[in-house]
Amino acid sequence: MTATEAARERRTGVGDVLLDVRDLRTHFEVMDGTVKAVDGVSFSLRQGGRLALVGESGCGKSVTALSIMRLIEVPPGKFAGGEILFEGRNLLKLNDREIRKVRGGEIAMIFQEPMTSLNPVMTVGDQISEAVLLHQPVNRKGAQEVALQSLVDVGVPDPKRRLKQYPFELSGGMRQRIMIAMALSCNPKLIIADEPTTALDVTIQRQILELIKNVQERTGTALLLITHDLGVVAETVDEVAVMYAGRVVETGTVEEVLLSPRHPYTRGLLESIPSQGKKGQRLSAIKGVVPNPFRMPKGCKFEPRCPYAWQAGADEEPPLFDLGPDRMSRCWLYDPRYADHLAEYEGRAPKKSAEVAS
Amino acid sequence: MIRFIIRRLIGTIPTLFVVSLLIYSILQLAPGGPEQRFEQNPKITPAAIAAFKHRWGLDQPIPVQYCRWVGICNPDGEGLGVFISNSRLPNFLPGFLGGGDNGVLHGDLGYSSNTGSSVASLIGQRVLPTAILAGIALIVWVSLALLTGILAAVKPYGKLDTVITIFNYVGFSFPTFWLGLMLIVLFAANLRVLPAGGMWDARTVPIFGSPEYWKFFGGHPVNALVDLGRHLILPVITLVFVSVAGDSRFVRAAMIDSLHQDFVRTARAKGLAERKVVFRHAFRNALLPVLTNVALELPFLFGGAIATETIFSWPGMGLAYIQAVRTFDYPVLMGILIITALVVVLANLLADILYAVVDPRISYG
Repeated sequence: MTATEAARERRTGVGDVLLDVRDLRTHFEVMDGTVKAVDGVSFSLRQGGRLALVGESGCGKSVTALSIMRLIEVPPGKFAGGEILFEGRNLLKLNDREIRKVRGGEIAMIFQEPMTSLNPVMTVGDQISEAVLLHQPVNRKGAQEVALQSLVDVGVPDPKRRLKQYPFELSGGMRQRIMIAMALSCNPKLIIADEPTTALDVTIQRQILELIKNVQERTGTALLLITHDLGVVAETVDEVAVMYAGRVVETGTVEEVLLSPRHPYTRGLLESIPSQGKKGQRLSAIKGVVPNPFRMPKGCKFEPRCPYAWQAGADEEPPLFDLGPDRMSRCWLYDPRYADHLAEYEGRAPKKSAEVAS
Repeated sequence: MIRFIIRRLIGTIPTLFVVSLLIYSILQLAPGGPEQRFEQNPKITPAAIAAFKHRWGLDQPIPVQYCRWVGICNPDGEGLGVFISNSRLPNFLPGFLGGGDNGVLHGDLGYSSNTGSSVASLIGQRVLPTAILAGIALIVWVSLALLTGILAAVKPYGKLDTVITIFNYVGFSFPTFWLGLMLIVLFAANLRVLPAGGMWDARTVPIFGSPEYWKFFGGHPVNALVDLGRHLILPVITLVFVSVAGDSRFVRAAMIDSLHQDFVRTARAKGLAERKVVFRHAFRNALLPVLTNVALELPFLFGGAIATETIFSWPGMGLAYIQAVRTFDYPVLMGILIITALVVVLANLLADILYAVVDPRISYG
């Protein structure tokens, strides 16, 4: 059994679909026009599964996460289309009361900035138990106990004392542990971690990732990890959805996506990772810049930067081609009409990407 | 904390010293003086004026006059002996340590050159009326500012925000004296429902602050309070209407700032209701800058809302101040100014102490 099959086995064994994002479109009406921050995002996550949403800054991954939590301010934000099915319910259709029950209770979120994501004038204990009181049938004292237990669960030393401390008395890594404890305290079915390690010291990053992974495995909650770091992806999740310019351009298991990328953008990302094998070589980069949201190219959004581009479908945007179970790519290469181009793409396959996953 | 307060109080001494120097020099440069009123009077001879000036020390060099006013110099001393009190100790020491009894340092603010009564007792009479008017106006206006500022910030550029903003700009643009007069025209002159000025109804109530007043107050508390309340309505409205705007805008800005912080998003992500997000999380963090602003407005109110008190003949500090200006009553002016400076310094200290109460990140070791 190959690693890919093992992962698929594992994945299908985990359970039913928990979160199914279908063609999500989140737009923002601003002074200069409409920013289509998310414009065609589809992926699904099974119960207890682990999926990473990967992409450059500004590709819409955080907006996707905030859309799932319905934390997009409307207006200027607008859900222009698609649906977010969580256990079969469309989260976009819930009223305020209903979505508040989901937030924190069923889906919890860990943010990028531990330094500013905690309220500076409230004790850690009060901030955690505030969430517990909302979602669990406990009194104030019980909530403090739950808070204490969740601090123990995330390995915070001296948890009793921490409960009474304020965020400014804690380090960045400790604050991120607090955020994780807060997310865990209500036993959510899904944890969304939005770049949880980006703002931390490198030495702490690994600890926090390990913690998230351990906690996920122990509690069996599903994990949606948002990151731009493919190294983090390789270590933490089973499945990947790669985003570019507000769209999902490729999905698959970690092994599939990292070892044999089916989209030129993913390949470009992988080639731009520095590694031992590339010592002395010039680091390759994806040429050009992310398209201006007000002047999106017609057709394929990656075409202007794509080294494999030819005049395919010019004005038409490629659909997500289905390449197998949960394996998709938004590239004209997978249109049967362009089989010769695909052969050329595969012939130019880079040799170094294997190291990434190892 | 106690050490911090003591340190800060000691730190106020140089500030107040400089302020007192400034007040004194500026008023020395101003025209007129206690003796001025005699100069037009043909019946008073130059010799009599000279005697008057000598009696009050006005013939002394200005530094000596200043020192006597502050209380460093003993008015009975001669030569270098001016620094020595009658008990043969430095004059600036407090009275019970053998210092002198004259000057600001010893609580003696001098005498009104107009009425001859003590400035300290005059200020003492004026403090309570000002405190009543300013206190009530402050409570009303800060509550209104918080309410409108928060409501405006929750949906910036929404309908409510626009309405509040328009009200604020209208209020902000109204000159106090004009608004006060218009209110008098409408409610006192035309509708005849409220008094045009003053603090009590002289036909039924004794003079405010006199022993008879307190006796009346004890006997008919409801009548006394209703009478006081009726006299308060118009000046309070005037003060609030023009003052609420600035603070309301300030609260709005602080709240908008606070509502965009990451921790507010965290609070929403917990599933908290918006009301709790706004008040428990955003508002507590917006309070700090608002507190500064309000604390710095206190002395302005204490010094008496000059225009408002004048229009409504409210017998407070502001009216005393304007009367002193009109009559060239410099001792009274200096007294009010130096006391106001003291209040400014103390209000700043109060703001610093409140910071530590509101924000756990601030502590004074």
